[in-house]
Amino acid sequence: MGSSIRWKTTLPLAILCAFLLLFPKLVGSYFLHLAVSGILAMILASSWDILARTGQVSVGQAGLFGIGAYSSALLYQRYALPPVLGMLAGALIATFVSIFLGYLTLRLRGIYFSITTIAFAEALTVIWLMTPDITGGAMGVSTPPLFGGDREKAYYLILAILAAVVAVVWLIEQSRLNFAFTAIRENEDVANVLGINPTKYKVLAFMISAFFTGFAGGFYSHYNTYIIPYEVFNLGVSIACLVMPIFGGLYTIAGPILGTVLIKAIEEYLRVTFSYGHQIAYGLILVLVVLFMPEGLLGLWRGKILPLFRSRPGR
Amino acid sequence: MRKDAPAKMTLLQVDRLTKHFGGLAAVHDVSFHVGEREIVSLIGPNGAGKTTIFNLVSGVYRPNSGDIRLGGESIAGLRPFDICRKGVGRTFQIMQPFPKMTVLENVVTGALFGRKPKVSMKTAEGEAVELCRLVGLGDKLKAFPKNLTVPDQKRIEIARALAVRPKLLLLDEVMSGLTPTETDEAIRLVLKLRETGATILLIEHVMKVVMGISDRVVVLHHGEKISEGPPFLVVDDPKVIEAYLGKMVDGEDEPAC
Repeated sequence: MGSSIRWKTTLPLAILCAFLLLFPKLVGSYFLHLAVSGILAMILASSWDILARTGQVSVGQAGLFGIGAYSSALLYQRYALPPVLGMLAGALIATFVSIFLGYLTLRLRGIYFSITTIAFAEALTVIWLMTPDITGGAMGVSTPPLFGGDREKAYYLILAILAAVVAVVWLIEQSRLNFAFTAIRENEDVANVLGINPTKYKVLAFMISAFFTGFAGGFYSHYNTYIIPYEVFNLGVSIACLVMPIFGGLYTIAGPILGTVLIKAIEEYLRVTFSYGHQIAYGLILVLVVLFMPEGLLGLWRGKILPLFRSRPGR
Repeated sequence: MRKDAPAKMTLLQVDRLTKHFGGLAAVHDVSFHVGEREIVSLIGPNGAGKTTIFNLVSGVYRPNSGDIRLGGESIAGLRPFDICRKGVGRTFQIMQPFPKMTVLENVVTGALFGRKPKVSMKTAEGEAVELCRLVGLGDKLKAFPKNLTVPDQKRIEIARALAVRPKLLLLDEVMSGLTPTETDEAIRLVLKLRETGATILLIEHVMKVVMGISDRVVVLHHGEKISEGPPFLVVDDPKVIEAYLGKMVDGEDEPAC
């Protein structure tokens, strides 16, 4: 029985991987661009979910995203650092900032932490506008197209980063970290009495989250060739990071990815149908999900849809 | 008969412990000790400060003054996870299992983080299975807490506290709300733990339990220690009778014995 379950999960996964690897050969430039921005969003969603596993709701992922984006772009502009190295540098700088920010704020719980993360991202916008000599200010920073504009290469790079995020989340789920994160999320006081240092694990989760969010930011700046503070530090980025996992299903590998696929599809459809439609959709989806499917799409599938098939007589 | 000089090595020494909440002295100038392999009960009417003492010993609260020493080393003011790793395990009066974890996962969590040096996932799981068997949850490893009865949820609490391999085990009203048969089972469990060498400080209202298993009893009233000694002497102490009977006249509390 064990082997059949293994078989059932490996086969679709293998097909999915093959499809993802061949994707650029199958579609045109427009869909490839959609895929790149979709995968970028998946990385942001999955990274947000890593921190959420400790019960902390960050509404300031845009801050880390922007730091990654700017670090990478500015390092290229000033020191001609190769873009991929710049992304790595952006990721590390975002991680460093998260340690500092985490130790300051992760002793706070629930809504208080969330509020400080909003303030963090908003403060960065102001700092960026006030220091145009260093940051480029409201004019932003521009860089040449990534890989000379080769979208296929960009696609494979972002796909590799997504694979790394998924691998890290999978490793977390297999390790003792999963117990620490879950225990802190479910009851921080009890976790503490059982020998778990809540702040330490929350900061660790925040660091992992920040690393990939920063990396994604770095990728975005080079792929997009142009960034401005209002865009990368925007609250909308932070909201997108949390809507997609909540929609798809929290604390799972597939949830944030599935949520992103569907939301991106809805968003893209609405964007071409009527203006600002996608922003209205974000709000609506968030409200509907919180009200009617608190465990997201995966929860709906496991709780409501899967049992319909299982309970059929003769199975 | 009072054991002022403990015959056994003192494991826990509480010295002039005081905790205020605003103007209220929840615990005032309380001193007592627990010897190694001893079972000591903390009793007293509701609001006497028993659970506050547990919270102070396990690090949930910081004392305003006084000292708490575990095996001679001061643990007063340390954070809960540090105190846990130094060898204090506790249960909660209101059961607080992790709801989204199975029984086994609840216990594994204690085994994974509650001790020094750290153990591997495999060791932790093996030990957790053993502990679940010990407390009588051997056939419910994969169950979720919400689907279990009250006594079984208390068993999770005990197994999880034991999983940190405590030198000192704090049991907060683990027998209250149990039927007489369940209480007898719980008493047998505590005595079984004592045989394995555990030192236990417990809060209990059920006098049958207190009388039956305690080596010594510490009586608290309005945050102060009013009596201490072997159970059969303490129940005859006029101050103890006054504390409890006084409550009964007020009609606020059930008679405890």
